[in-house]
Amino acid sequence: MVMNFDDLKNEWKADGLEETNISEEMLKIKQAHTPIDIIRKKMKREFYYQLLALLFMTGLPYLLKLSADMTMLYFVFFFITCGFTGYYFVKFYRFYKNSYDMSVDSRKNILWFYYEMKLNVELYKALTYIIVFIWVAFLSVFTLIEKAWVVDKFFNKLPPFYLLINCFVTVLVIGVITELWAWHYYGKYLKRIKKIVDELNYEH
Amino acid sequence: MKETEATFLALINHHKAIIHKVSKMYMDDAEQQRDLFQEIVLQLWKAYPTFKGNSKFTTWMYRVGLNTALVYFKKDKRKVDKIALDENIDVIDVNESESKEEKLAYLYKAVQELNAIEKALIFLFLENQSHREIAENLGISEVNARVKLKRTKEKLQFIIKKNGYEF
Repeated sequence: MVMNFDDLKNEWKADGLEETNISEEMLKIKQAHTPIDIIRKKMKREFYYQLLALLFMTGLPYLLKLSADMTMLYFVFFFITCGFTGYYFVKFYRFYKNSYDMSVDSRKNILWFYYEMKLNVELYKALTYIIVFIWVAFLSVFTLIEKAWVVDKFFNKLPPFYLLINCFVTVLVIGVITELWAWHYYGKYLKRIKKIVDELNYEH
Repeated sequence: MKETEATFLALINHHKAIIHKVSKMYMDDAEQQRDLFQEIVLQLWKAYPTFKGNSKFTTWMYRVGLNTALVYFKKDKRKVDKIALDENIDVIDVNESESKEEKLAYLYKAVQELNAIEKALIFLFLENQSHREIAENLGISEVNARVKLKRTKEKLQFIIKKNGYEF
């Protein structure tokens, strides 16, 4: 059989005309499935988890029966965490409420999606790093003050170089986990959009 | 039904073929086509307040429809790999009276081997858009649109020929 673009154009014109009409009901669907919508939905869910975690953390010093001094120190770290979380969630909320315009040209549209997603994934990673390091710092202070015997028994016997290597490995592990987590949750959407950006930018 | 809603429905029903064709270009599976169709209708409805009538309604529909298809994700299961041509479509059929529907069905299968931007180029070309209009819709230069379209048509011809059609 022979095909050519002129024939196809003629047949293309008639295609889809016989399909059933779009009903009023279809306009009532609320949930969109663009990557921005998917990321927003996931971030909203994480926000609730984080809120629950912060609520749980208010009772933790009493559950762990920390000393009065340590409890005070715990709440200093806790409020620092709340401060950072609040700051980042105001930013995420703006991202959540920021609407997009699908009627611009495809380049503008794709680039907007790409940079908006990238920015928010970076913010997400920054918040994760900050929170993890705040609590690593608290655990270090806690160990030095409350569990001094651990320091005496283990760390004092180790050469400083070994301790430095340990710190480096800890930071590395935290970094790798954060990057993998962010990639697993959001990276795949970024990768697919980046592919379309590259296809559009490819010149000749 | 509100007046805006009724006007919008009348307009998109008049041009519903555009949405059907975009859905078939970007998704090969009937269920995914329905989902994308629904998503495009939703995005058109959301964007409708931004339509000021400065361009033709169909031009506005092309943009929203293609932009939605370009960034659409089907619950993490979107097929992005090349899809083998359907065995049910008789590829090497020498019968000259083969139906028009079959030619189109074959075209839809063949475009699944193109990337997202190439699909947009072929779609706009089949919609009789000029190089300038294609460039404006995609946000690229006219020269780039011309070159990209030429290459995409060659690629599509190659895919079709590879599978036994004359082109």
